[in-house]
Amino acid sequence: MWSKKVVLSKIFEALYVKVLVNIIIQKTKTLIYIEVYGRKGVVEHIHNEFDTPTPSQQMIDFITSYTKETPYFYISYLDPSNTQGVVPTCNKNKLAYYKDISSCEYLCFNNSWTFYTSKSELYELEKEQGLLGVDFVFSPFVVLANFFQDKISSHISLYVLILEDSIVLSVFEDSMLLYGEHLVVKITDDEDTFSHVDDEDITEIEDALDENIDLEDIDVDDNIESLEDFGDIEDLDSLEDIEDFSDNRDIEEELQEGDMDLKEGDKEHFNQDYSRFTLIEESVAHYYKDDRYESKFLENIYIADSVGVSYDLKKLLEEEMFFNVYIRRIDIGVEVSEIAKKELGL
Amino acid sequence: MKYSYVKPRKKTPFTPEFQLIIIFFGISISMLMTTYIFLLYKNYTFEKDKMRIVNERLALQKDIELLNTKIAYIQKQKALAEKIYTNNTVLRDSIANLFDLVPERITLSKAQLLKNGLILYGITPNKDVYNFMLQAPLRSIFQKTYTSFYPAKNGWLHFVSKNYMEDDTTDDEELTNED
Repeated sequence: MWSKKVVLSKIFEALYVKVLVNIIIQKTKTLIYIEVYGRKGVVEHIHNEFDTPTPSQQMIDFITSYTKETPYFYISYLDPSNTQGVVPTCNKNKLAYYKDISSCEYLCFNNSWTFYTSKSELYELEKEQGLLGVDFVFSPFVVLANFFQDKISSHISLYVLILEDSIVLSVFEDSMLLYGEHLVVKITDDEDTFSHVDDEDITEIEDALDENIDLEDIDVDDNIESLEDFGDIEDLDSLEDIEDFSDNRDIEEELQEGDMDLKEGDKEHFNQDYSRFTLIEESVAHYYKDDRYESKFLENIYIADSVGVSYDLKKLLEEEMFFNVYIRRIDIGVEVSEIAKKELGL
Repeated sequence: MKYSYVKPRKKTPFTPEFQLIIIFFGISISMLMTTYIFLLYKNYTFEKDKMRIVNERLALQKDIELLNTKIAYIQKQKALAEKIYTNNTVLRDSIANLFDLVPERITLSKAQLLKNGLILYGITPNKDVYNFMLQAPLRSIFQKTYTSFYPAKNGWLHFVSKNYMEDDTTDDEELTNED
């Protein structure tokens, strides 16, 4: 009887299309990407945006207009939790060494690293989205690893996923995660954004940006004060390594990036990008300083940009942290949908 | 490999709407099937009844034919009975008339009625008595009359009178009346 029902369900499943509703909740708005998946692949895909972080009637009506067609619809969320992260092991005995995740839901990725999120925030999400329902909640770390899966298997690099109000940062070497952190961006529209930045620093940054500094002219020793936190770098034994930087540039990525137009930095974008830069800088410093992580030297940074960062961020990262910066635009809804498809085995 | 922190809700094509549709169609189809089966059954019983009635009709027709035959036979019997009754009545009357014809002086010992004739056995005191009192009425009835006499012990005469009507019909039917 049960097997008959399963066979019947399989037949019906083949007859119906699948609707993948991917929801990205941001501080002030919600992005929705809907993919209608038929037998021959994606039949239709729709982007939409609602100016509310919680489900409004308009949003529910919009989603329902697609989900009512089939019982096989899946509502996926990008985990909006502030208490989430990764640890570079799947060994349960070693998890506590990095993070007390007793109050967290966690999963192992490729038997290599663990991603976790707060249980209470997960329940909160399920409660908030009760009207729509929750089928999947995906970690942005998984999205990042999936997005850069062609890169993470190569030499060590820093991978960053820039979202509207958060940054997901990971260090991968040969598909092994060395470090990862979820950072919340606190962006205000006030003029006081820079209140925490010294006037001297602003002048220095602006001068640097205005002068179009040639990286080769920069004396590393001059900036050593800002790089004091990087003291634990294991591989950076001598300046000879710095000379090899140019050899590690990702030419292929540069060529791909060449077609992408980055926004020219106006003041508002500069505020946001500077905040992001500060968070990345702090996180990288934490990576180098924290003894628990294998602090290998980072040369390249791959940025998955979902918001449209300005040229300023790239410039800051290149000039302040001496990274080779590669930026790829990411449609976060599409990437969440890709993970949902992987989860469903489509 | 699992990527999601939560398990997806169970998806089933048997949504309440779908179940409602299935129930509706199920009931409709079952009602149609029931009606169809009922009509099939009724048709079967009707055919069966029809066959039975046809057979009954045939049997009744046979019975009617048989009865008609019987009726015809009975009618024939009745006609025959009536005829016999009439004949008997006629015969009775004839016999009564016959005995009325016989005078008191002549005694009949035997009378034999034939289809077309009458044979009388008896005793008479003499021929004259016989000739005048019995033969004369017999001659008025029968076309042929033959009489023979032979003497009795007491001096009277036994006689045998054979009287025939001119009728060609031959019938073996024979009624005998003995004193």
